[in-house]
Amino acid sequence: MGSSSKEFFRQEPPILDSKFLDWKFLEWKKSIAGQRGKQAVIALVLVLLVALTAWRCNVDVQSFITGINKGFPLVGMFFPPEWSGMADMLQPLGVTTVMAMAATILGMCLSLPCALAASSNIAPPVVRQVMRAFIALERGLPEIVQMLLLIAIFGLGAVPGLVALSFSSIGMLAKLLADAIEEIEPQMLEAVAGTGATRSQVIRYAVIPQILPALFANGLFRFEFNVRAGVILGAIGAGGIGYVMMTAMNSMDYQKACMATLLTLTLVFFSERISDFCRTRILDGGTPR
Amino acid sequence: MLHVSNIVVQLPNGKRLVDQVNFTVGRGEFVGILGSSGAGKSMTLRCIVGLTRPNEGEISITGCNGKTYRTTNVKAQELRRARRHIGFIFQGSNLVKRLTVLENVMLGRLGHISPVRSWLLGFKDAEAREAMVALDRVKMAHCAARMAGSLSGGEMQRVAIARAIHQRPLIYLADEPISSVDPRNADAIMSILQPLSHETPVIGAFHQPAAVAKYCTRAIGIRTGKIVYDGPAQIAPRQLEYIYGESDGDSASLVWESDAQPPLFNSGVEAVLHEGVTV
Repeated sequence: MGSSSKEFFRQEPPILDSKFLDWKFLEWKKSIAGQRGKQAVIALVLVLLVALTAWRCNVDVQSFITGINKGFPLVGMFFPPEWSGMADMLQPLGVTTVMAMAATILGMCLSLPCALAASSNIAPPVVRQVMRAFIALERGLPEIVQMLLLIAIFGLGAVPGLVALSFSSIGMLAKLLADAIEEIEPQMLEAVAGTGATRSQVIRYAVIPQILPALFANGLFRFEFNVRAGVILGAIGAGGIGYVMMTAMNSMDYQKACMATLLTLTLVFFSERISDFCRTRILDGGTPR
Repeated sequence: MLHVSNIVVQLPNGKRLVDQVNFTVGRGEFVGILGSSGAGKSMTLRCIVGLTRPNEGEISITGCNGKTYRTTNVKAQELRRARRHIGFIFQGSNLVKRLTVLENVMLGRLGHISPVRSWLLGFKDAEAREAMVALDRVKMAHCAARMAGSLSGGEMQRVAIARAIHQRPLIYLADEPISSVDPRNADAIMSILQPLSHETPVIGAFHQPAAVAKYCTRAIGIRTGKIVYDGPAQIAPRQLEYIYGESDGDSASLVWESDAQPPLFNSGVEAVLHEGVTV
């Protein structure tokens, strides 16, 4: 057996009929031509869409060019940054950081029950549908829109910002977690349920240990996002570094605005570094092997 | 004592996965259920533990104190009470991978712990010590502090048995416990299950007639949902052939279809190819 199979592989591959090769070549040409045609159609549609929007929105190339010409000298006005203003900005910077952190923690805590109620292998279908709709609503409303609605309720300040960020954190985290819960192997849940455990015990001992790493990893991602979103919400009334930047720009104090921008960049950079560090630690500790 | 009487599992289209299955298992028995894939072995075991509700029939388990637990036609709470007394060892991996091995063993007792306590306090040290004893019985005590997800397939299977032992059930059910492990581990697992059956009956679904003949006290053969053999574990070759359905060539034809290559170079196809060139 062994020697004959060796012999088989030593043989030359069969010489193919040249007509067969021609036919395959033509087939390949055809398929390539089809792909090219499709690509051309897509490109044409895209160009038409851009042209249509430019026409409908009165995009004026002239104003773009003059804006750039005017803008370049303006860039010089941002420098040097107003270093002396840094001390006064640390407090608003802290407000933005704390707002992002609190919103992330609140969002993580509240997203867990929402995720459980939104997953098909834990919750009854009706509850799941309602919860999924609620999550979709939260995800559908951008933070800024939520913020504007909440300002009407709470007035200006960090509270509406915190609530807006928490709500949108719940929306994102609950969706990701619900998907993670639905991916848990059914046998694992059955094995725990098969010992006579109640549904709440199955959640406690099979679901939560399995999704906890996902909760923390996604929560850390959300923290980065919340820092950046917090700056924007600050500009429209939640206070913090975003508000400082906004007022500086409005009063044409460009050097101060530059300082605020630098601080924001530093904050975003470090929040990303810290969350990256924590995430690798969590995933290394949690994954098998 | 386990009584399974006339259970039927029917698909909505009328096909019967389990058809009028009847058997009684008593003390000291180690029953091996044999049959080809899809014959209804696992489904029968799932019915016993109530993970699948049979369309007809009754299943009851009687303890030595005379109490009877049913897993058919009961409410959820009563089913949970019955499940506490059934040690189910699942096919393949079924441990909670991100819990430690010892915690996985202790999960066997969840049915005896109030949900409030399991959320607020967790397990007690006394329970952990008892779980260590169960873990030692399957020779896995050295892995107690490891994460369950880091174990090999055979080790996981042994921990799953420890979980069932810790449950102190009235009956053990094992769904293909040795299918996903190597022969040496399979031997080890079978020689853990065999002594268990001296105190508490064990029912296992197997794909290995040789292992059943070696370790079990009784064999049940299932073919297309029906019991076709119930007797000593040493099964005559002709009876084995009948259990696995010689005439029923389904699986063989499947293999041929997936392996078959389109006959590219036979004359009929070439003719078509040449036509293609001229187009």
